[in-house]
Amino acid sequence: MMINEKNYETYFMSYIDNELNAAERAAVEAFVLTEPKYAVAMAVFEKAKLHASSNELIEMEDKIFLYRFPEMDAKLDIDFKKSLYRKEAPVRKIIFTPNLMRASFAIAAMLIIFIGLQLFKSESNILESPLSESALKDKTTVASTDILVPTENKTLANAAKGTKAILKIQNKIQNENQTIIASTNNTSSSINTSIVGASKNQASSENDSQNVLVAKFNEGQISSSAMETMATEEEKTMTSLPTNYKEIDTEEEDRTINIGMLEIDGAAFRGITRKFSALLKRNKIEKEK
Amino acid sequence: MTDLEFNICVDDYSDGVYRFILKISKNKEDARDIVQTAFEKLWVNREKVETLKAKSYLFTVAYHLMIDQLRKESKIVMTDSFDENTNAITQGSSELKQLLLEAINNLNPTQKSLILLKDYEGYSYQEIGEIMQLSESQVKVYLHRARLILKNKLTHLEKMSA
Repeated sequence: MMINEKNYETYFMSYIDNELNAAERAAVEAFVLTEPKYAVAMAVFEKAKLHASSNELIEMEDKIFLYRFPEMDAKLDIDFKKSLYRKEAPVRKIIFTPNLMRASFAIAAMLIIFIGLQLFKSESNILESPLSESALKDKTTVASTDILVPTENKTLANAAKGTKAILKIQNKIQNENQTIIASTNNTSSSINTSIVGASKNQASSENDSQNVLVAKFNEGQISSSAMETMATEEEKTMTSLPTNYKEIDTEEEDRTINIGMLEIDGAAFRGITRKFSALLKRNKIEKEK
Repeated sequence: MTDLEFNICVDDYSDGVYRFILKISKNKEDARDIVQTAFEKLWVNREKVETLKAKSYLFTVAYHLMIDQLRKESKIVMTDSFDENTNAITQGSSELKQLLLEAINNLNPTQKSLILLKDYEGYSYQEIGEIMQLSESQVKVYLHRARLILKNKLTHLEKMSA
């Protein structure tokens, strides 16, 4: 190591930085003693160095927050932690929004219509049993007209006979139920065929056009009179039906309401409707507020 | 590193790290936050950091946090605020020391950090290089340059005062 005029500052700085080994330090100390200016230079470098003792005056505040304790890192068992989890149950609150109001009104209207229909049905059921016979009559009349149509297209004289035969069948059918109607139709059709056969025979035996025309005219009268007779009979049966109308007293306390097969206490039903209307009214007032 | 060893590190190094940062950043709050963060990092990495290397680790973390802070706040240029702080702290010290501190205030943060780490903390060039992410030769050159500045400044101030 060679300390000289050019490099002495570097060596001096390394000396005060304590970065030289013992031999180097000894060499520097020897060099300083060679000339007074080097001693002055070394003294200045020493002055330019900060000393740790002056630094100790500054201390950090709130050092306590830096400390760590085992308790600070204590962790709970995962299973125990899971047991602490809570899930907030969703609160179901009925809020009568305009759409909900409309929907509730619609449901109420549907219920009223349904109840009304059920009431109407129950009323009509009362009339059902006497009407069944007339219904049967209607059916048989229709059946007989069906039979009449083809016969009119044939010879009128034969049709007159056929009409008589139909009237007889009609009287029979009136006392039979619907299952017998099918068989009656069969019998009417067989009768119809016999009528056709009879008309053919009669037409061939008479063989007179004038007689045919008279017969046609007579037949027209007969058939129309036959239809009139049927209509009057039907009217009679309709007028003879008993009319059952039930008067409902709305003020009656112990009255019952029949909805289909259900029987509801009138007072209870009225209470429910009143409560429902009161609830709707209250909601409306709250909404207005 | 155990929690006991960690707490010993708090006792031994927290003031040093705080002083080091305070003298460069000139802000007590910033210095405290940086120290807090540095110790937090040490605690998080306590399994990786050896107890003997804890001081160096703390200074390294603190130094880089401070540089980031200074960059954010653009406080690279020194102001007079540090003088007020240091004057209050170094009350009763000699006139020479005040002149020296004034001279140090005019150094750039790197030079200042080098001086502080060397003189106050007694780190070697190698350790300073590790902390500041510089090579050993770079540390030597930059530090010597800072010392020459201080020497010249001190000589000039002494002449002025005389």
